Amino acid sequence: MLKKFKGKYFNGISSASLEASVKFINSNNEICFQTENGDLFFWDISDIQFDSYHNLIEIRNKKNLDAILKIEDENFIRKFYQVLKRNKALNLHTRLTNLSFTKISIISICILSLISLMYFYALPRISDQLVSLLPDSFDNQLGEIVMDTYIFESSIDTEKTKYLQQFASELNLENTKPLKFSVVKSDEINAFALPNGQIVIYTGILKGMKSYDALVALIGHEVAHVNKRHSIKGLCRDISGYMIISLIFSDINGIMSILIENAHHLKSLSYSREFEDEADKYGLKILIKNNVNPNGIIELFEQLEKVDNSNNMEFIQTHPLTENRKKNIKKIISESVYEIKTNNNLTSIFKKLQN
Amino acid sequence: MKEEKISNTVSNAEINKSGTEDAATNTKSYKLEFFGKGSEFFKITIVNWLLTLITLGIYFPWARVKQLKYIYGQTSLNNERFHYSGTGWELFLGFIKAILLFIAWYFIIFLFGLINPIFAIIFIILSYVAIPPFFIHGSLKYSMSRTSYRGVRFGYRGNRGELIVKFLIGTFLTIITLGLYSSWFSMNIRKYTHENFRYGDIEFSNDCNGSDFFWIIIKGYFLTLITFGIYSFWFNRDLFNYYWNNLKMKKDEKNITCRSTATAGGFFELILVNLLIIIFTLGIGLPWVQIRTNKFICDNVKLKGDIDIDTVLQTEEEYIDATGEEAIDVFGV
Repeated sequence: MLKKFKGKYFNGISSASLEASVKFINSNNEICFQTENGDLFFWDISDIQFDSYHNLIEIRNKKNLDAILKIEDENFIRKFYQVLKRNKALNLHTRLTNLSFTKISIISICILSLISLMYFYALPRISDQLVSLLPDSFDNQLGEIVMDTYIFESSIDTEKTKYLQQFASELNLENTKPLKFSVVKSDEINAFALPNGQIVIYTGILKGMKSYDALVALIGHEVAHVNKRHSIKGLCRDISGYMIISLIFSDINGIMSILIENAHHLKSLSYSREFEDEADKYGLKILIKNNVNPNGIIELFEQLEKVDNSNNMEFIQTHPLTENRKKNIKKIISESVYEIKTNNNLTSIFKKLQN
Repeated sequence: MKEEKISNTVSNAEINKSGTEDAATNTKSYKLEFFGKGSEFFKITIVNWLLTLITLGIYFPWARVKQLKYIYGQTSLNNERFHYSGTGWELFLGFIKAILLFIAWYFIIFLFGLINPIFAIIFIILSYVAIPPFFIHGSLKYSMSRTSYRGVRFGYRGNRGELIVKFLIGTFLTIITLGLYSSWFSMNIRKYTHENFRYGDIEFSNDCNGSDFFWIIIKGYFLTLITFGIYSFWFNRDLFNYYWNNLKMKKDEKNITCRSTATAGGFFELILVNLLIIIFTLGIGLPWVQIRTNKFICDNVKLKGDIDIDTVLQTEEEYIDATGEEAIDVFGV
């Protein structure tokens, strides 16, 4: 004896509702129902679409999507799901939403931790690998574009630029590509290196230096950024990080996305801190190699510390100065063997640079 | 879930003032409800998020359909639920089409630019005004055609060209009046679109007009400003009332009117609690906010009239084109 269920039928022609009696037939591969008007319908399970709400299920037929069969009966719904499962007609979304709250949470947390693992460990390494695949010409072009727009809005001190070039040529910098030096007229305490080997130093930072040791330290530090391709690495890490983040959080709006973006910004800062540490150590190596007093780097740090609270924050933000950074370098200096030889050429060029 | 039987009995006998043969009209009762639950909607959102993530974003249109299906399906009138029948595949194709249109748009600008940059600039300005109505039309047409109730479809019968002309005139007048005309502009568009809505053979209309709306806006802005924002709850209420109280439905000689019961206190509670949810869950509680907002709307809109919703006939043709719906994302209309 086949069990009959009571339902409601809307025919898709008018909004009137008709009583219907429903049953599964043909070894549960078809739903058969008869309306109060006596019309008989056979719906194949494979043609069926449905929406379920608690103890109500709305069934539609792909062949006539306007018509609806509504059944409010827990027994029917249970049986309906069994039939669908057997016919593998339940899609992934329905199966997942039918899981318990804890199971969904566990799946979400697993995937989320997998992604965080990727974000924190795999991503920096993968993107650094990608950078090594990029040709040098990419660094050069990028650097030239930045320099072109930069020169456009600032004034180069041509005379001092010449002296700075002379100063650098006196040093062994172990550079991997030809370097270009420029001095920019500005009171700002700033200096930076572009990926094409262009190093820009502001007159503001030159004036504050007590000895050429600090300048050698600064140059060494900037050369490290060029040699180690720090700006390209940072760029790649940043972009790939943003890609992952926008992928994960594109669906979640509001405060969460702002928080995540800021967290990512902090993460990029920590990347730059990692790069700064590397550049400091390299700068120190350059000082020792050229028989310059390694304490030049400490001198440079102390000069930067003084402007810590002033408005010239740009340098500080990208070159985070911490007690730790100074302490680390002091420790390395105390452990290293070095010989200081005063270089008269450097002294005289340095004087001209400071005028 | 509450069991509410449609009462077809004469609940309110009204004397027909025209004094013709009908002495009384049958007033029907309508009950708009929202059954959605934050926890269920959250589950849908999480599963959507997972699938979107795993498919590198491709699942997004399907995810959106799941959400819309839930919201529509939990909205009920006289204990029968609404239904959203859009599909992820339609939205996905719409998205692809919108992208192609976007590329074509750039290409036309490029071609005009080759001939004369002035042409390109004129084209850009004109298209900035014409693109929103172009896609709003598509979006209304698609979303209404995918909404149904008791097996009868909704529809939008507006004309794309007319809407674009209205936008061009409205934008022009708004600019030369330094924005003052915007109230009339927005109400004209509202009136036009609403008057082209259909639910089977039920027609919609809207009695809103620019000058009434203008004073609501002026009063709202001014009082919100001098009360340091406290009046904003009353302002919200006034807007909500105005939007709903002017909406009417008509079928033959019968009609349904809408009445808002929203209060400033209600808005205060809605907005404050929504804000707290967002802040303390860092945005994860957004599904609850959406559910609460929908519930608030359904709880505060009362329908009154004499249309028998059992006898509506299917009139709207089927429509297949989701470009407008997805263009809203691509172009950010």
